[in-house]
Amino acid sequence: MTSLISSRIVSSSALHHVFKSALNCGESKCLYPSIRVSQWYLPNSYNQHRFYAEKQVYKRDKPHCNIGTIGHVDHGKTTLTAAITKVLSERELARVKNYDEIDNAPEERARGITINVAHVEYETENRHYGHTDCPGHADYIKNMITGTSQMDGAILVVAATDGVMPQTREHLLLAKQIGINHIVVFINKVDVTEADILDLVEMEIRDLLTEMGFDGDGTAVIKGSALAAMEGKSPEIGSEAIVKLLDECDRVIPLPERDLDKPFLMSIEQTCSIPGRGTVVTGRLEHGTIKKGNECEILGYGKKVKSVITGIEMFCKTLEEAHAGDQLGALIRGLKRDDVRRGMMVAKPGTQKLSDCVEAQIYVLNKKEGGRTKPITNRFNSQMFSKTWDTLNQLYVCNKELIMPGEDATVNLWFPKGMVCEQGQRFTIREGSITVATGVISKILPNLTPEQKETILMSKKQLAKRQEASKKGAKK
Amino acid sequence: MFSRLVCYCSIALHSFNYSSTTGLSEMFVSKQFVRFFGSTTSVWNTSKSHLAQLRKKTGYTFSNCKKALDMHNNDLEKAEKWLHEQAQALGWTKATNVGGRKASEGLIAIVINKNHGAMVEMNCETDFVSRNSSFQTLANLIAKSCISIVPQVCNTTKSLHKEILDGKAVGSLAAPDGKTLADHVALQIGILGENMVLKRAVLISVSDKILLSGHSHPAPQDPNSPLLGKYGAIVAYHPKDNEPLTDETQTIGRHLCQHVIGMNPKIVGDLEKDKPHENADDEKTMIYQDYILDPETKVQEILDENNIAVVDFIRFEVGEAETSNEEPSSVRAQA
Repeated sequence: MTSLISSRIVSSSALHHVFKSALNCGESKCLYPSIRVSQWYLPNSYNQHRFYAEKQVYKRDKPHCNIGTIGHVDHGKTTLTAAITKVLSERELARVKNYDEIDNAPEERARGITINVAHVEYETENRHYGHTDCPGHADYIKNMITGTSQMDGAILVVAATDGVMPQTREHLLLAKQIGINHIVVFINKVDVTEADILDLVEMEIRDLLTEMGFDGDGTAVIKGSALAAMEGKSPEIGSEAIVKLLDECDRVIPLPERDLDKPFLMSIEQTCSIPGRGTVVTGRLEHGTIKKGNECEILGYGKKVKSVITGIEMFCKTLEEAHAGDQLGALIRGLKRDDVRRGMMVAKPGTQKLSDCVEAQIYVLNKKEGGRTKPITNRFNSQMFSKTWDTLNQLYVCNKELIMPGEDATVNLWFPKGMVCEQGQRFTIREGSITVATGVISKILPNLTPEQKETILMSKKQLAKRQEASKKGAKK
Repeated sequence: MFSRLVCYCSIALHSFNYSSTTGLSEMFVSKQFVRFFGSTTSVWNTSKSHLAQLRKKTGYTFSNCKKALDMHNNDLEKAEKWLHEQAQALGWTKATNVGGRKASEGLIAIVINKNHGAMVEMNCETDFVSRNSSFQTLANLIAKSCISIVPQVCNTTKSLHKEILDGKAVGSLAAPDGKTLADHVALQIGILGENMVLKRAVLISVSDKILLSGHSHPAPQDPNSPLLGKYGAIVAYHPKDNEPLTDETQTIGRHLCQHVIGMNPKIVGDLEKDKPHENADDEKTMIYQDYILDPETKVQEILDENNIAVVDFIRFEVGEAETSNEEPSSVRAQA
């Protein structure tokens, strides 16, 4: 998978790789520690190697980033993806993927929700990338909503022969819609275009980027030929252009915020009372760090309690500080067992609030994926599951009259009781034994008025009556 | 002085180019020639700004704009004229090139005009293109052209007559500007660079007693814009007892279309002949289905309430013909 892993495996090849990669790439700064490591561990790794021969282990030694290609069907997205893997494989940072593997992934198709997506992985010197290539707008949206692969940045591929296509506008709109702010442009097919046209193509792309609300002048534009890179010809527009493109990706696309830096939040999985000491809540720390003695707030199901964390335990041992990702138990001072239940959140005071109305993007599963056959209309009632909580919810469709299975949509969700909701939080909507939809919260809306809240449980006829009554009332 | 020379040279070569019928290789030479000198002379600079202008004005690909300018010695007007003339031919060439690629995205376009209605399916390769305004204009143009021939195709003396046309038949129809619809499609293929297929169309004509209502999903935000979407339905219904039209009967028509799109019934059904299905979820007879806007009531109740009866309906879904006999994925062209 990576040069670093393989370098650990066999000593001769390890030295060879290290030597080679140190020669190849100037950034020996980041390589140095790994060279040390590989030599240090060499004696043991002989035995380990045999166990790993079947399947390589994903090693988390570089920050991960998701990236994707967008562009017209004929402009060489797939060739570019193949070229990237080829160029990086020469540095032992990726496995070569052919067109066929990228374009048609039957196993992906068969799996249902990741249908129509090509996934490729590769590494640069600094990062590990997951690379997505989807054929259509709806596929990208679905990916974003289901979380199959949220893209942190994108490479816009434009062929110099054609220039910007009319639908490039739609590609950029999509990028906006799925929250991509960082784009690197690759002008492809430079080898069959005259140099003077290239400048015009570049100008045109920059203009369009600016028009669509991106930083047109500041965007990195790389010119090259993916085909030349694939065939190993003219390196200045082939492999070197690819390397330049990846360097720009490393530079331009920011890493997602680390969870440790956020204020702490823990979703409660279980509660139990210990006589004489108080109530212990257990769960996983979603983000931030907790220290013994921290003040905290416990929220959920319309309730809000303030208290102090008097002790933290993990694996039956007390600890001073817990980090994001830890599964822990927290002893909370003066808390009655009836005050808390599964699904409530322990948060830093003042950082979270209860909301009963949110805007969300949902993808409605089709029949093949186990969803409904019927569409969803306004006032659709179902059970919503997110983190450890679940609640009844009522759905209102925005900008559409109905949502067909297999479609995505923006909706408003109303809850009878306020819950802790964060932007970007994922959830599932189920009706009986069927998973109807999956979604992500896009915006926290102002809380419902008491009148709105009352209508949640009303039938259509009751609602009609009430509306008539209020009309009459208004006339009087 | 030197730049003059280059000018003459290129003109000479161009004129030579004209006279020859197999101009390709010569043109290549001339291009190389111009380039060779061009970068150091003013000739190229003017042509570069011309190229940018031409591209901005016409929207044709850079390589075609360049070709046009080269052929007409940087004469903007002539080049533009040539481009427009060539567009059709280029479109057809492109159409033949991409013809084998799978096109299962696209749009359904519906036009209703009193007693006449038309619904067409137009396919393309990606939904990016189906969101593009020029593709939408094309789909709308096709639907409008179809509705104009309804009186010739359908028997207007019948109370209801519908006629389904396949893609070829639709393509041979004439657009308002005199070109065939297939020509218009080819032109767009040349511009958008994706395979497009005129899939099918349905024409419907009804007598004065029957009302037609059409609806698409997703519905356009602006009620006056053409009906375009991934799903489309036309419902024909008539008020019982020939009661005059009210606004409510109009709205109910649109809601019934929504129902047809959403619940996908197979037949309208007759209270006397047809029996409800044992399992309400598998119900395909429209009158026994749960009404989409209120799952607690059946469609028949809604019809009774509004005093109307459904005569017929048609439902189109983009790509539904394609998925029934899906081709192996290897057919898909390599990008």
